[in-house]
Amino acid sequence: MELESNYEIRRVADFIRSNYFTRVALQFPDELLKDSMRVVKALRQELSSSVKLYVMADTTYGSCCVDEVGAAHVNAECVIHYGHTCLSPTSRLPALFIFGKASISTSNCARNVLSHGLKSGKPVLVLFGLEYAHAIPDIREELARNASSLSGSTSMVEYFYADVSCSVVNPSETSKPANQLGLVDSEVVNGCLTEETSQNYSMGGLSWRLPKGRNMEEYLLFWIGMDNPAFANLALTFNSCEIVRYDATEDSLMTDVSQQTKILKRRYYLVQKAKDANMVGILVGTLGVAGYLHIIHQMRELVTKAGKKSYTFVMGRPNPAKLANFPECDVFINVSCAQTALLDSKEFFAPVITPFEAMLAFERGSQWTGAYVLEFPELISSTPSVVREESEEARFSFLQGGYVEDLDLRDNEEVEKDGMSALVNATEKALQVRDEDSQSLTKSIPKSGAEYLARRSYQGLDIKESNSLPQKFLSGRSGKASGYKHEKRNGN
Amino acid sequence: MVKFTADELRRIMDYKHNIRNMSVIAHVDHGKSTLTDSLVAAAGIIAQEVAGDVRMTDTRADEAERGITIKSTGISLYYEMTDASLKSFKGERNGNEYLINLIDSPGHVDFSSEVTAALRITDGALVVVDCVEGVCVQTETVLRQALGERIRPVLTVNKMDRCFLELQVDGEEAYQTFQRVIENANVIMATYEDPLLGDVMVYPEKGTVAFSAGLHGWAFTLTNFAKMYATKFGVDEAKMMERLWGENFFDPATKKWTTKNTGSATCKRGFVQFCYEPIKQIINTCMNDQKDKLWPMLQKLGVTMKSDEKDLMGKPLMKRVMQTWLPASTALLEMMIFHLPSPHTAQRYRVENLYEGPLDDAYANAIRNCDPEGPLMLYVSKMIPASDKGRFFAFGRVFAGKVSTGLKVRIMGPNYVPGEKKDLYVKSVQRTVIWMGKRQETVEDVPCGNTVALVGLDQFITKNATLTNEKETDAHPIKAMKFSVSPVVRVAVQCKVASDLPKLVEGLKRLAKSDPMVVCSMEESGEHIVAGAGELHLEICLKDLQDDFMGGAEIIKSDPVVSFRETVLERSSRIVMSKSPNKHNRLYMEARPLEDGLAEAIDDGRIGPRDDPKIRSKILAEEFGWDKELAKKIWAFGPETTGPNMVVDMCKGVQYLNEIKDSVVAGFQWASKEGPLAEENMRGICFEVCDVVLHTDAIHRGGGQVIPTARRVIYASHLTAKPRLLEPVYLVEIQAPEQALGGIYSVLNQKRGHVFEEMQRQGTPLYNIKAYLPVVESFGFSSTLRAATSGQAFPQCVFDHWDMMSSDPLEAGSQASTLVADIRKRKGLKEQMTPLSDFEDKL
Repeated sequence: MELESNYEIRRVADFIRSNYFTRVALQFPDELLKDSMRVVKALRQELSSSVKLYVMADTTYGSCCVDEVGAAHVNAECVIHYGHTCLSPTSRLPALFIFGKASISTSNCARNVLSHGLKSGKPVLVLFGLEYAHAIPDIREELARNASSLSGSTSMVEYFYADVSCSVVNPSETSKPANQLGLVDSEVVNGCLTEETSQNYSMGGLSWRLPKGRNMEEYLLFWIGMDNPAFANLALTFNSCEIVRYDATEDSLMTDVSQQTKILKRRYYLVQKAKDANMVGILVGTLGVAGYLHIIHQMRELVTKAGKKSYTFVMGRPNPAKLANFPECDVFINVSCAQTALLDSKEFFAPVITPFEAMLAFERGSQWTGAYVLEFPELISSTPSVVREESEEARFSFLQGGYVEDLDLRDNEEVEKDGMSALVNATEKALQVRDEDSQSLTKSIPKSGAEYLARRSYQGLDIKESNSLPQKFLSGRSGKASGYKHEKRNGN
Repeated sequence: MVKFTADELRRIMDYKHNIRNMSVIAHVDHGKSTLTDSLVAAAGIIAQEVAGDVRMTDTRADEAERGITIKSTGISLYYEMTDASLKSFKGERNGNEYLINLIDSPGHVDFSSEVTAALRITDGALVVVDCVEGVCVQTETVLRQALGERIRPVLTVNKMDRCFLELQVDGEEAYQTFQRVIENANVIMATYEDPLLGDVMVYPEKGTVAFSAGLHGWAFTLTNFAKMYATKFGVDEAKMMERLWGENFFDPATKKWTTKNTGSATCKRGFVQFCYEPIKQIINTCMNDQKDKLWPMLQKLGVTMKSDEKDLMGKPLMKRVMQTWLPASTALLEMMIFHLPSPHTAQRYRVENLYEGPLDDAYANAIRNCDPEGPLMLYVSKMIPASDKGRFFAFGRVFAGKVSTGLKVRIMGPNYVPGEKKDLYVKSVQRTVIWMGKRQETVEDVPCGNTVALVGLDQFITKNATLTNEKETDAHPIKAMKFSVSPVVRVAVQCKVASDLPKLVEGLKRLAKSDPMVVCSMEESGEHIVAGAGELHLEICLKDLQDDFMGGAEIIKSDPVVSFRETVLERSSRIVMSKSPNKHNRLYMEARPLEDGLAEAIDDGRIGPRDDPKIRSKILAEEFGWDKELAKKIWAFGPETTGPNMVVDMCKGVQYLNEIKDSVVAGFQWASKEGPLAEENMRGICFEVCDVVLHTDAIHRGGGQVIPTARRVIYASHLTAKPRLLEPVYLVEIQAPEQALGGIYSVLNQKRGHVFEEMQRQGTPLYNIKAYLPVVESFGFSSTLRAATSGQAFPQCVFDHWDMMSSDPLEAGSQASTLVADIRKRKGLKEQMTPLSDFEDKL
């Protein structure tokens, strides 16, 4: 039965039974929601009636993350997450991830890996979308068979495979959890590489080891799967590697990754833009991924240190209309799981950047060397080490083509030095603001939300001005927002 | 060369009446640098200890290679006047010693920003004009610039040697040529009537015009000859000078002066008779090696030659004789000292041009009086790369007060607004330095009226700044320089090796500093952009970037890219409407082109957001036919709050409109920066808000709803108003002989250029052609032209205006639409423009 295999009903039931969970939340992404009732029915048959099952639909944040807050509403003890996931570690609840099984032609795929591997001559590292995890053992077998038949004619190409680090996440565990799937055997195949001689990499739920002393750049990365955020992350993180993508649904090979380098450049631009920002909004884009609180604190500290003002927003999944409600923010930092962090900012009024980019932008003296970090643990470990120097060069802004200064910093310094002149300056500034808000169409750049408000031509209800006489009673519009009644008439 | 120690030089700097700050300006190839060289050779100040092993003219290798000046270079000259020659000097002076700070500037139009920077810190200008080619386009441009800065000009008609040797013209013809050159220059100068500066026109008979041969190192003014003949004729010098120019004829047969040519064979114009002919005679005698005739003649003139020089033959002999008889340095330096103002004189009237603040405050007064005891006012006009890589000298002029080593100064950058903290730093000067030839000498302090280089401020100054004392918090900055060229040609640069990115970033920073005109910026796509005034300028900049500022790390540059503008042809075909994301708010808008000349007026700053609304509406009503009421309803200019587009409120009686004004303006700033066609800036569009429907609850009509909607409706109104692209167009001026004209026309035709003026230069076989040429087509134009005319034509291109491209970018396959597709591709956008239906909503 397709449902059974695709949703791994038996495994889920075993998992629930073995952990004695009684309240279980099933989280479906929108595109799988249609199957949810059938899954629940199937699970019901497997489980005793004491187990309560809840279906969670659309999440507040990205559907790739476990919606712990949603699950907490029903006091669930664990979450079964279906569909595409970023496998970000959770902070409170254990979760089981069911990736689903996408169809793939193993022989075609293996042939592509082989031919491309031979062509490049580099060792090949096979990475894949989680929905293809089920097919990897078959591909590996196929590949080994083909390779042996070819061997002798050409030099052997080394193949490495990534593993799914785990499909169960327990919040308490910080070390690498044990592999619970049938994929354990892959460890054995790679077993010749012991801990001492190899180096661990992990990303987006995949992990792999490479012999020590070799860089990722020496490998050809072969991605099996779609062009989704997971792939984009891979391409950004390992932007100096050669990457090819095998699209299983179209059975085609994509070697052109210029789109990815374009994205990287665009991110670089956003970093430069963020440097010019005076007010920074921190978007809480997740309430589940482990370490999010730490990152938020870290970001706040970073922004303050850079002499800018930060505001923290919790608004669920960000969209242009929501963010444009805060036009005072020049840039937003999106603290969220790795796969939802990259937002293309074209439609946004202000750019949205990732915490890593914020670190690049707001830490003086940090320069982009091409590395790119998206996952929280690595970010936390890369806490700023550079101590600010006292006298430093003014910052050169590439957007303005000249030197700009970060103001608040120097203000603070002056306060310490000379209380008297600081007071004078403050008074001066206050006078300035009043003086300017009359008719002129340009105003100085605001440094905080309050200054921004003072700069606006409309600052809210003006009670004094309104005339005290009661207004005449008027009938308003009626009808639907898509077309009010009077408009409908005019339109037709 | 004058050998000096730094202390001696410093001593003269205190005599503010005896200082002349001047620049040498001219069209490319008219001989500025050669002329300067001959001055420097005679009077250049050089540090005593290095005298002998320094070559003054030693400049950048690429300058020598191309034979053009690229960077302006400053040199100090020392000249001691004799009491006799100072007899007629009326102005204030302090002894006979004079210090002349001279700046040689480039003539090529691509580098005219260097000229601007040089003019700012000088008070006088020596305008050099080729006597054959006459006043050319660049002469005109720099002359206008100089007068705009209230710089007093003197003229020298250069390359006289060509008259005598190459063209062999007779006296009367030569006179006519010179007369025309001077007249042409005076025509330009006359348009700048300035009561404070007085009469700026130049007159040979007043001694403000010199005649020089830079290559041979000789020059004269009529003063030289007047002195010689005054005694002979028994008239005073001034009278004699008048006779030596203009309609004054002398007949040696009758020994009578007349104001008309009497027709007698011996009757000749004064200038010809007494100046031109004697020189011609001497030159001819030298060239023909008639030494037996030469020596008595020289003796009569009071010229004595050294014995070894007497053995010279032909041209070298002629050069030597002329240099001894009429040394260029004496004639030119005396002209400068007599007719160019000292800082004390010049700052009296220049203060209006210089100072931004009120003209009666302490700073204005200090500048006006050139007061060394007043508050420091120093303008940094350019940054000069120092020999240790990565550091810069801040080079400028002290207008008031003194700048000294260790002094704490307030640095006011170009974006500084008095009373605010933006673009303001307080730092100390590490060293004050003066230039002695190629060497820099540290001095204790430098008083007002002089040029100076400062060490230790380069990390806070991008290109220019005003410096004052630390405590002078109420000082206003000195006005920013206005450049006559704009950076319209851009290339994207990236490093060959990705890990060199930090080097590139650092290099671009330095490049931005080293050149007043270059702009280093970044595209939305993340590419680093270097923008310059022209192809040549960019080429030099990129060379500097790679070799000097990045330590030779390799860079890849893209083909030159030109930025376009997006505009509209007519009023929107209908009032368009967009709904907010929540569908509760609607904005109705129309776009229309701004009136002719209005966009330019905004560019020039005649109309802008900072104006008094009353004055603005007056200009709009009177010059552009706006309704007075409407002119008061301008919500904003954009992009960047100052750009040449507007949003105007045309609504009547709309509730809550004031609440959404800020949001609409924010959306407008955003949209006008990235137009709907290819995300280029918009230009010359007026957006009229026609009607607005808003939700009654404030929360549903917040910025989040209105800002994106305003952007969409602006795009929709733009797209319905016949959108068009504007491309930048150069004004090209070409000088060439007649036989090259055919080649020029065919190249121009090929490149979509069109000639609008063709004029023969009077008295020469040369033609002057003025044409418009799209900047896009200008890449490689110079070399194509040279090839087509076998090197006889040399173009000068200056950005002139934006020209509308007639083809419709919305029509598939049109020229404009392919262009749009190219730009979008380059920027990494979707190749298809977003259709109107995505911006406009229906009820």
